[in-house]
Amino acid sequence: MANLNVAIIVKLEPDFSEGNVSYNADGTLNRAETKSILGPHSAVASNAAFYAKVRYGARIAVTTMGPPIADSALQQAQLLCDADELHLYSDRMFAGADTLATAEVLRTGISKVEGKMDIVFSGHRASDGETGQTGPQTAWKLGFTFLGNVIDYDVDVQNRTVRAKRMISLQGFYDVVEEVEAPLPVFIAIDPSYKASFNTVSQRLAFEKYRKEAKARAQDYKQYLKVFNAQQLGVDPKLVGLPGSPTIVYKVERIPKAKASRKAEVVDGASREQLAKVAAKMYEVLGGMVIK
Amino acid sequence: MMENYDVAIIGGGSAGLAALKHLSNLGKQAILLEAGKQVGTKNISGGILYSKKPKNGRTYNVEDVYGPEFLNDAPLERRITQYMLHSTSRNKVFTMNLTAAHEYQANFGYSVLLNRLNAWFARHAGESAERQGGGIVSGVHVRSLSWQGEKTLIETDELDPFEAKAVIAADGVNSEVAEMTGARAKFTPEQLYQGVKVVVKMPEEIIEQRFGIGQDEGAAHLFAGDITLNHIGGGFLYTNRDTLSVGAVYHYDSLMGRPAEPYALVNALLKNPMVAEFVKDEVAVKEEIDKNLPKEEQLRIRFAVSKLLKTRNELRDAWHSPAARKRLVEGGKYKAEEEIKARLDSVQNELASKYRTKFVTDYVELEYGAKLVPDGKRCVMKKPYFKNILFVGDAAGRGVFIGPRIEGLNVGIDDAVRAANAVARAIDRNNFAPQYMGEYYGQSIEESPYTRDMKEIDKDYLKIFLDASRDVPKDIIGQRYGMVFRLMSSGTLRGLAVGFANILGYDKLLPLIESEDTYVQVPVELAEKMGRPVQATYEPTLPTVAQRVAGLKYDDDRASHIKVLNSKSEFMKRMVTLCPTNCYSMEGGDVTLQHEACIECGTCAKETEWRHPRGEKGVVYQYG
Ligand SMILES: Cc1cc2nc3c(=O)[nH]c(=O)nc-3n(C[C@H](O)[C@H](O)[C@H](O)COP(=O)(O)OP(=O)(O)OC[C@H]3O[C@@H](n4cnc5c(N)ncnc54)[C@H](O)[C@@H]3O)c2cc1C
Ligand code: SF4
Repeated sequence: MANLNVAIIVKLEPDFSEGNVSYNADGTLNRAETKSILGPHSAVASNAAFYAKVRYGARIAVTTMGPPIADSALQQAQLLCDADELHLYSDRMFAGADTLATAEVLRTGISKVEGKMDIVFSGHRASDGETGQTGPQTAWKLGFTFLGNVIDYDVDVQNRTVRAKRMISLQGFYDVVEEVEAPLPVFIAIDPSYKASFNTVSQRLAFEKYRKEAKARAQDYKQYLKVFNAQQLGVDPKLVGLPGSPTIVYKVERIPKAKASRKAEVVDGASREQLAKVAAKMYEVLGGMVIK
Repeated sequence: MMENYDVAIIGGGSAGLAALKHLSNLGKQAILLEAGKQVGTKNISGGILYSKKPKNGRTYNVEDVYGPEFLNDAPLERRITQYMLHSTSRNKVFTMNLTAAHEYQANFGYSVLLNRLNAWFARHAGESAERQGGGIVSGVHVRSLSWQGEKTLIETDELDPFEAKAVIAADGVNSEVAEMTGARAKFTPEQLYQGVKVVVKMPEEIIEQRFGIGQDEGAAHLFAGDITLNHIGGGFLYTNRDTLSVGAVYHYDSLMGRPAEPYALVNALLKNPMVAEFVKDEVAVKEEIDKNLPKEEQLRIRFAVSKLLKTRNELRDAWHSPAARKRLVEGGKYKAEEEIKARLDSVQNELASKYRTKFVTDYVELEYGAKLVPDGKRCVMKKPYFKNILFVGDAAGRGVFIGPRIEGLNVGIDDAVRAANAVARAIDRNNFAPQYMGEYYGQSIEESPYTRDMKEIDKDYLKIFLDASRDVPKDIIGQRYGMVFRLMSSGTLRGLAVGFANILGYDKLLPLIESEDTYVQVPVELAEKMGRPVQATYEPTLPTVAQRVAGLKYDDDRASHIKVLNSKSEFMKRMVTLCPTNCYSMEGGDVTLQHEACIECGTCAKETEWRHPRGEKGVVYQYG
């Protein structure tokens, strides 16, 4: 029995790297021409889970919701984290799901993973979805403590707690590192800058051992794969797919550059009257916001 | 809490890996630390890997360590079946067949490329070690050793410190372990050779035609005479599966006297008409792109040409390799083997007609490298241990140079087994004291036939050379070694003479044997008087050292791993010439170092603070 059970939620995404991505004439993504791969944020989450395998011998399940070909994302994730179990949640009924409906599927799926879940990892966000909501919503549905922007973590397996470093912005300062401790179970959304480090001989040996195991397993990934449809998952049809989605992504747009519509009036600040004029103008524009 | 291991092996060359494999075979847990990101990226050899069949005593050979899988599965290049020594003078060559010397006391000798071979060793040793709870940790550079009671505290640039009860130092000729513990002094130029080598590309079946060998055969050609530019040393050319290893090994002392650039020495070899003819191939030369064309058109042409050239080279390699041809046809890419040829011709035609690519006679270098080689006769450690550290392979100065044969790989493997046996015995008794472990190892090393080779002349081996030079007029050799030769020519007298010579010992004999006379004058005279003329049909385009460095892979470290101690010393001034990658230059009266191109050969180690780069950093050999 593993001391620690972890799961990762990953996503198959278009490969946005140069030379692989292709766009339609209208600027939208040409999904047919663009190869799909494990999303880069999912890859970071897989690396973070692998750290738990190397350090604590964690048992790892990788889960995803998507079409049948999304199993390739599971395979790629397994190669990174030496997963023990792969879950694909695939049903036409899930089509059109927004983040909330996706979170419902993932929550149900994760409850089907062997053992009592301790940590669920997700990437920072998906590179084709942009919302970054699936993680927090899954956490909320699971009832796990949510830790976002995590750049480093360690587990006290005995005392069942997690210590994590989070990258946050605080009162206008960016890149402030906050250290938190939380009891298991937790949901960790991993920051893209996360990098695992292995500092002892035994960790390096374990790293090598599991990396080799991962290679062998990923070659034979179907043996670890479980595919669930809506019925097998036992989800409530009202909570998944289009019916379960309170939002739809209508369009993702680049924020248009603001048209320069400013008018400038040059005031020479040499005299008191002129300065008073500037103050009056500011008051006029900003109105009540100016504290006298 | 500090981690604790029974055995730490420092260095993952062929010697360290054999120690790991053998210890694991004995059921002991051991870890191996290697600075390179992957095992095999830091090692370079000539090289022929021998399995020895000694007249007396026993050696532990590579196949004893790795089992029958070694011969079935290891990436061996070619079994060497022909061994020729050429004496050269300008365009004349006198050839002696020394295959008997190559086969002497040998089960086999295979040409190898260390990058691939050591990676294979690492896979097998690593797997065995894992079963015992040990394994290989690569990308880690050991920085210091100290003692806490009986145990050794090992500090690295990358990991938390840890302890080991026994240490096997397999960190090569420039051993930091030896230096930092004071177990031996740094080797001096008198004790070393500098080896330089290039790997040349050549399709498989062209090698076989050129050297008159079958698919399962290989050739070795050795060179002496004017190709050495009057230095003590010699050149070699070994056939690999689809490359050639061409290089030279020079006595470092001889280079100190009259410094010559290592690449000039390798160039002298490549320019020799016989070698030039050996390495020649059909090389595609791109036509300059017309600068007046629109930018996009220039770009399009550049891409098209490089793509076609890549295809051409792949097809050509495949067409000249029976295994690749078979693979392509069985894979369904081509219906018949002739189709590969047809496709190759059409690609070449397209290149020639559309892009005016020319196909000329020249040669292609894939990799340039250099390393010091210890001359065991002069530098072998008398006591190859210190406290609980056992030194093996190059780290212990254990290279055997007799005649044209260089043996280091097999010697290191034999040492490694002996060291592993000593350590296993110490573990069983939990006694790592030098009186128990070190001395036992020292005794075992003393019994090794290789140790005898480093001390004594073997009369039977000598006879092979005498037989091979039977036709040589006595006046060439006679005036120098007349006495010796007369004594040696008769069986009984030879026994006496060798006995006498061995009493004198190598120290007294070496100046006579290893002299410019032996390596230069005699071969030159031989070639002039008895040689046949050899003509080269082209002049090889020799890359500059800058081009050679540009072809190497590095993981750059901003900080230098070498510190110059005295920028005005005579030794350091020599480095401006002797560094194989021109890292040193004179500025004002000072020698300055730019470490970025360093290939970690060790040539400058004697008067510098010399460390290997941090883990993963520095040169990354692809062939080795
Ligand atoms: C040009 C040339 C031709 C040769 N021809 C032949 C031949 O034909 N036949 C033959 O048998 N031999 C030949 N030799 C000799 C042979 O190559 C060597 O004897 C052999 O490779 C030495 O093996 P080794 O394991 O002792 O050392 P190395 O292969 O040098 O291995 C030492 C390893 O230790 C690592 N290391 C060093 N310091 C540290 C540290 N502090 N921490 C961690 N890791 C460290 C290095 O990265 C390296 O991988 C030739 C050598 C040369 C240069
Ligand atoms: S700097 Fe020293 S070790 Fe590096 S390549 Fe030059 S001579 Fe060799």
